[in-house]
Formats: sequence, structure tokens, C-alpha cells
Amino acid sequence: MQKAAARQPRKFPIVARIENLTKHGDRVWVGLNIAMSLIVVISMLLIGYLLWRDSSGTRQAFGLSFLSPFVESSWNPVDNKFSAWPFIYGTLITSLVAILIAVPLSVGIAIFLSELCPQWLRTPLNLLVELLSAIPSVVYGLWGIFVFLPAVITPLGQFLGNTLGTVPVLGSLFAGPISLSGSSRLAAGVILAIMILPTISAVTRDVLLAIPSSQREASLALGATRWETISRVLLPYGISGILGAVILGLGRALGETMAVTMVIGNSIGASASLLKPGYTMSSVIANEFAEAVSPMHSQALIEVALILFLMTLILNIIARLLVWRVARKSSPGARA
Amino acid sequence: MLSKRYTLIAVLLTAAVLLSACATAATPTAASTEAPSGAATLAPGSVQINGAGATFPQPVYAAWTYAYQYVDPAVAINYQGIGSGGGKKAIIDGTVDFAGSDSLLKDEEYSAGKDLQMYPVLAGAVVPIYNITFKENAPAKPLILDGKTLAGIYNGTINMWNDPAILALNPDLKDYLPAEKITAVHRSDGSGTTELFTKALTSFSTDWKAGGASSVEWPVDKAGNGIGGKGNPGVAAAVQNTPNSIGYVELSYALSNKIAYASMVNKSGATVAANGASIASAMADFADKFTDKLTNTIVDAPGAASWPIAGYTYIILHSSSSTDCVKDQKLVEYIRWTLTDSGAAKIASDLGYSVLPEAVSTMVLSKLGEVTCNGAPVLK
Repeated sequence: MQKAAARQPRKFPIVARIENLTKHGDRVWVGLNIAMSLIVVISMLLIGYLLWRDSSGTRQAFGLSFLSPFVESSWNPVDNKFSAWPFIYGTLITSLVAILIAVPLSVGIAIFLSELCPQWLRTPLNLLVELLSAIPSVVYGLWGIFVFLPAVITPLGQFLGNTLGTVPVLGSLFAGPISLSGSSRLAAGVILAIMILPTISAVTRDVLLAIPSSQREASLALGATRWETISRVLLPYGISGILGAVILGLGRALGETMAVTMVIGNSIGASASLLKPGYTMSSVIANEFAEAVSPMHSQALIEVALILFLMTLILNIIARLLVWRVARKSSPGARA
Repeated sequence: MLSKRYTLIAVLLTAAVLLSACATAATPTAASTEAPSGAATLAPGSVQINGAGATFPQPVYAAWTYAYQYVDPAVAINYQGIGSGGGKKAIIDGTVDFAGSDSLLKDEEYSAGKDLQMYPVLAGAVVPIYNITFKENAPAKPLILDGKTLAGIYNGTINMWNDPAILALNPDLKDYLPAEKITAVHRSDGSGTTELFTKALTSFSTDWKAGGASSVEWPVDKAGNGIGGKGNPGVAAAVQNTPNSIGYVELSYALSNKIAYASMVNKSGATVAANGASIASAMADFADKFTDKLTNTIVDAPGAASWPIAGYTYIILHSSSSTDCVKDQKLVEYIRWTLTDSGAAKIASDLGYSVLPEAVSTMVLSKLGEVTCNGAPVLK
């Protein structure tokens, strides 16, 4: 090595430079990393561009009425009349139901697992919750059709229809009767809730476990009870992380296709009720794309995909902003 | 703890090795038994033929492919059920050697694909399936429907099981049909089955305005009594789980899963059950109605024995632009086998389909004879 260094002036400068570059792997490494991250950005932009380009026909033909809840909703491949509102509504309402059910449950699970659970129970419970996320969605769908819907959703739907269905304004969301098979937006929402539960609870648990124990000790030392420590110290401390977990779950709920398709009933009805069959954006794409023979039909499906793409993008941006805001307000250590 | 885990891994690994050993051991023996009976010059499986398209005939194609290994071991056929639309696109793009399709090529597709030709290879039927909670002591008779009633149910205008139209068709059951709402189940995915079914409805009733296509806007959905199920299994599951519902599936699916299906009153006024014979009768009714593109529609057939919701399924080939003549010859020979072999016909009828009657298959065979490769006819 030393000899080589002594002879260095004889080398062409360019050779020395290349040697220098390769010897110090850092620059190559940095370049590689930049290229990798650029690939992610470029492929996302390309997806967006392709969806935009390939849906030009329906965008011109229908314009904003494609998205509007106020025009008469129709999805008619025979007459080439399309509007995406029933699917947008279905996606939003099922994801909302899923989040409303899953968030309290999974935050509860996470608190129990990280703070209250006896040591011997922790590992098996952790495993079980994580196993829930490993079940393929088609299995959820099958289980839903044959077991969960008739056993739980149909009675639940009948109960909701008889009670909440009679309340003036809220009643339109719970107008029954539910189909005896249970296929409904409610069923899709509840199945989605079960599916996103492990995601939210696992991330929330990790967030809570990452909070330094000095926080817990300080709170307890000040005389706070366990419940006060959890609700006033730990949850506020970890709130940005928990929000991030909820967004992760929401992302899965918005895009989930198979299980939803199997239980939602795939029907474009006029009713907005949770107890009636509905349709989601991902379901209609999965259902119809293979046989979308006419160009307008496939373009309409691509435009639905574009809307779904933009919707998840906007939701993620909002979520990111929310997390930043919360993180800035609370302690600087708790960034998600 | 650790040692236990290693034992588990060791057991799994051993199992994997054993399994793969079995698999590799099995292959050479299978190959060696087939080799002497095979074609003289070509090694077994050396001609790979790829097809893709309709799912409607897929059970038959799978069974035929399996059987054909013993007819010509040199040929290995791979058929992917990706839908008629996907199949047509694939044959136009040249990514497959043949396509399966239930729907007809459009003019612009003919011009995009240059020398595309459709060959009918078999016909299948769609049957209404139902799940009715009859009153007690109902006789075990199949439900009978006619075209107008079926269209009315899917229009949402006939929405009770004790509707006078249904009662009039079922004198044996009329005291046992419940006063319950009808839930109408349809396919949620675009499908040749739906295309056949809705084309039949269009022909049955002038009140059916939704048209005939692989996916349509269901009037019964708007009426709030419709449910969509994915694929034949999805429709069957929805019907089985929903008391007092009706749906439609391919005959083959209803047969293989032992689902009760309705009989229909056909155009002539006779009540028929769906089976190979009633499909063949529908084909015979329209045998002289083929277009010059060799396509035909056989719904709502006039014959007394004809099943009214039947349709051809087609194989699409490039008829003159193929350059791999060996493969082209093997493919055309395979299609000729499906049209002429009695074993192939039996496979189809066991699965609830029907091969072509002689009048039609002669026509298709002569059209197959026109397939050329590099200017020379493929079939000798």
C-alpha cells in the first residue's frame, strides 16, 4: 500500500480519481441510495400519469359528473354511461365503519399488551394478534360469507334496523331490512375492522413500548394512578405514532378488495343505508376489468383507479400533516 | 427452547427433502412409460401451446387438455381463464396461440387482428338456481320458470315468490310458495355467463331494457333486491345463504356442486330441463343460421326440446399468419380432435356441455381445413 502511494504521481490523474472514488465506497453508496429512492418517486408519478392518460376518454365524456353524488348514479356498460359515486361512497363508508370499530378496540389491545398484561400472557397474545394480520383476505371473505355474516351481521343488522333505523336523520343510514345472508356495507365495514385491527394494535403497542419508562415513573411518582398515567401521559406522548398507526390501517381498509367483494353484495342500489348491499372502488375494478371489452368501460374503470389513487394520496398527505402538527405540539421526542 | 426450535426446523427440512425426492423420482418413470407410445419424432411435451380467455368453457378445456396428453404426448396445452376480453386482446397482441371467447369479435378487432377466425367448439347452458323456503310438505319438484317471468324477476317487477305469474307456471307448487320477497343474485364480475343470460333475457322480453353484455346495469339492484356474487361460487354461495333467492350459474357448475336448478318453459311452450340433449337441440334449431364469420346465437330456440339459455363458446386462431408450422399443425389437430373424438364429446357432456351436432361440426372442420401456415394448408 505504501509503495503504491509513493508511486502515485506517475499515474494518470483520471485513474487516480476513479480509484479514489471506488476506494471510498461512500459516494457510490450514496448514489445508489439516491437512485433507489428516485425509483420509488418515479414509479409513483408514472402510475399516476398512466392512469390519467388512459382515462382521458371518460374524463372528457363525463367530466366532474363522474364524481358527483347529485347526478343519477349509473354504471351501465351497455349504454356507456358511467358515474363512480356509488363506489366512492361505498369505499368511504366501509372504511369509516372499519376505523370507528377498529381504533378503540386496537388501542385498548395495545394498552393492555404494553402496560397491563402479565408477562406470561404477553408473548402468546402478541403472537395471536400478529397472526390475525397473516390471514389472507380471501379466507376472511369465506369465513365472512359462511360463518360471520349469518351468525353476527344479520342479527346485528336487524337490531340496528329496528332501533336506529327509526331515528329521523340517522335512520337513513340504518334503513333496513338487512338481507338474510347479511351481505351489506355494514358487513364489509366490520370485516375490514377485523382485518386492520392487528395493524393498528401492533404499531400502537410498539409506540407505547417505545415511550421511555422515565415518563411512567415520573407520573407514578407524582401520585397518578395507573389509569391516569396511561390516559394523561402515555397516550398524549404517543399520539402521533398512534395516528400513524390509524392511517396505516385506513390505507389497508381503502384498498382491500377480496374480502370486501365477497361480503358487500356488489350491487349499486339507490339506498345509502349501511344495511343494504353496496359496492367499493377496488371491488368494481377487480370484478369488471377482465371482461371490460369496450374502451369506454375499461377507461371508466381506470378512472375509478385514478380516483382511488388520488384519494389514498390525499389521505396520506393529510395524515402526514396531522402527525407533524401533533408531533410539534407534543414532546419533540415522539416523532412518527 | 432453542433446541426444540431446531428440531422443528430439522423435521420440516427433512420433510421438504423427502417430498422433493418423491417428486423428482416420479417424473422420469412417467416420461419413460409415455415415450414409446408418443409421436415418432417429437419428445413428450416439446410443443407448448398457450391459450387464454373465457372461463365459461374452462372446465372442459382443462379436462380435454388432460386427456389429450394420451392422444399426442408431444403437445402440452396451457389454458388460462382470464376472461373473454383478455383472451381476445391476447390473440390480437399475439401473446397466445389461441384464445377462448364467448363473445364475438367486433369489426375493429377483426381489422386489428388481420386474419382472426372464430371456431365454435362446444355449447353450454346457463341455469337459474334457487333457494326457496317452501311451506311444509311441498312436493319435491323443480321450480318452473319462463323467460318473461325470469326477466321480470331481474327487472324487479316480479318481486314476490307468490306472484301470480310464478304460481301459474307451477301448479304443483302453487300452494307451497311463500309470500316472501325475491332476492335476485347476479354475477358481479364481467362474465360470458352474464352475457349469455342477459342476451337471453333480451330475447325473452321486450321489458328487459338493460341489454345483453358481460356486465350490465341490473334493474333489480336499483329496486334494492339485487346482490352481486363473484364468479359462479360467489353466486351459488349468495343463493345458498339467502333464503328465498334466485341466481344463475353455468349448468356445469350446478351439476358438479349438486345445486338445484329450475326448468324453463321454452319458446314452443314446452317445459325442458337443462342437459346436453336440450343444448344440442338448441344448436340444431339454428344450425343453418351461421354467419359468414362462423358465429351464431342460439338463445330462445324454437324447438320443443331446446334449452332457451344456451350459447356457443369459440376458439379464436390466426388463420394464416402463423410462422411456427409445427405448433400450428398440432393446435389445429387438437381442435379437430375436440370436434370429432367420441371421448372428447363424452368429457364435455359429463361436465354439462354439449359438443357440436354433426351438421355444425362438418362446417367448422371444413373451415379448419382452410388454416394455412406459410401459404401451405396445415391439415393434411
